[in-house]
Amino acid sequence: MAVKFFGQYLLEKQVISYEAVLAAISLQERNNLKLGEMAVEMGYITEADIERAHNAQYSKDMKLGDLLVSQGILNNDQLDKIVARQKETHLYIGEALVRLGAITREELVKYLEEFKQDQAPYQVERIELPEGIANAASWEMVVDLTYKMITRVLGLRFKPEKCRVVDRLVGGYTMAYLDLIGDLQARYVLSVTADLQQAIARAILRVESAQNEPPDMLEDSVMEFINVICGNVAAKASQFGKIVEITPPETIHPPSAGLPVPSGHAALCFPIHVDDGEKMEVMELFLVIPK
Amino acid sequence: MKKVLVVDDSLAMARQLENIISGSGDFTCVGVARNGAEAIRMNQTEDPDVICMDMNMPGMDGLTALRSLVVLDPQVKVVMVTSLGGVSDNFSQALKLGAKNVISKPFEADDLLRVLRAL
Repeated sequence: MAVKFFGQYLLEKQVISYEAVLAAISLQERNNLKLGEMAVEMGYITEADIERAHNAQYSKDMKLGDLLVSQGILNNDQLDKIVARQKETHLYIGEALVRLGAITREELVKYLEEFKQDQAPYQVERIELPEGIANAASWEMVVDLTYKMITRVLGLRFKPEKCRVVDRLVGGYTMAYLDLIGDLQARYVLSVTADLQQAIARAILRVESAQNEPPDMLEDSVMEFINVICGNVAAKASQFGKIVEITPPETIHPPSAGLPVPSGHAALCFPIHVDDGEKMEVMELFLVIPK
Repeated sequence: MKKVLVVDDSLAMARQLENIISGSGDFTCVGVARNGAEAIRMNQTEDPDVICMDMNMPGMDGLTALRSLVVLDPQVKVVMVTSLGGVSDNFSQALKLGAKNVISKPFEADDLLRVLRAL
């Protein structure tokens, strides 16, 4: 049901053993040179250059390739060639498993097709954002995964409204939030009504009714829901080479006037009309992003 | 009945896992730990057959706890149950540290039970 990658899919389905996956990962690591290693192999830089750059990374939050270019050790053309060579020589886990004899080539083709079907629900669909928003594709992915999890985890029907930029986060009964950090920087905030909190608790706890659940369990259910969404965001981002981490979720009961958007940030609001089984309720997703 | 220790700081997730395990017919939940340090302690006191452990927890996280658990108890069987399982580095690291599988949230109860039964 989740965003996952191929080796994980095969292990979960018990097609391959845990030992086979480890061996394949090890083979990949021997074959797939990191950027610095590839640059040395291609004769552009020396091991000493790498060490100097790694030391500089302690004080500069930059990727190695960008750092080497900024220091004049590589030029952009060389960096492009290194990245291209990494892509050309990349050994995927499926191929590694075939080389190790864990699966046959015919099985690889079959399981890749099954995996494609398994992950098809997680292909990103276009979400319309206001013009001029930086990293629009990434935020589309976050919102799209939110919609998909409302369907897959909560089992609820919904109708999204158009995105708008807001200067206050005005929401419902409770807000759960966490931070995306790394190559994507945003505060993910989900605002829900009391009834939607009940619906989320029923789904997360896998129970018929959450009416008698204590408040901390209800709040925790919403936190767990956004934890699941954003963990899958991190997984999807990693498929595009982006490293994203998530902080533990928290909740707040917002004042009726809402919460101000911090200076230097913009807030995108995505209202979502959700059918909780009895009536339509509004859930709001806010993404607070650096300007 | 095989004994399962659940490790998750989320009350809701721990309850979900308890419900799935208790309803399986062949597993019983022997306790819930809220972080890695508690997991290490409860592994000694409850002696579970399997540990289902989250990765992202405050205090001692799942991967750090996994590293210690495997050293202290080489026979331990740990399955990571996490929303971050689809991040390939997390998956690789968990297996290298000794986890037997990584289940990504959201998951089907049957998929989790199949993995537990195979251990």
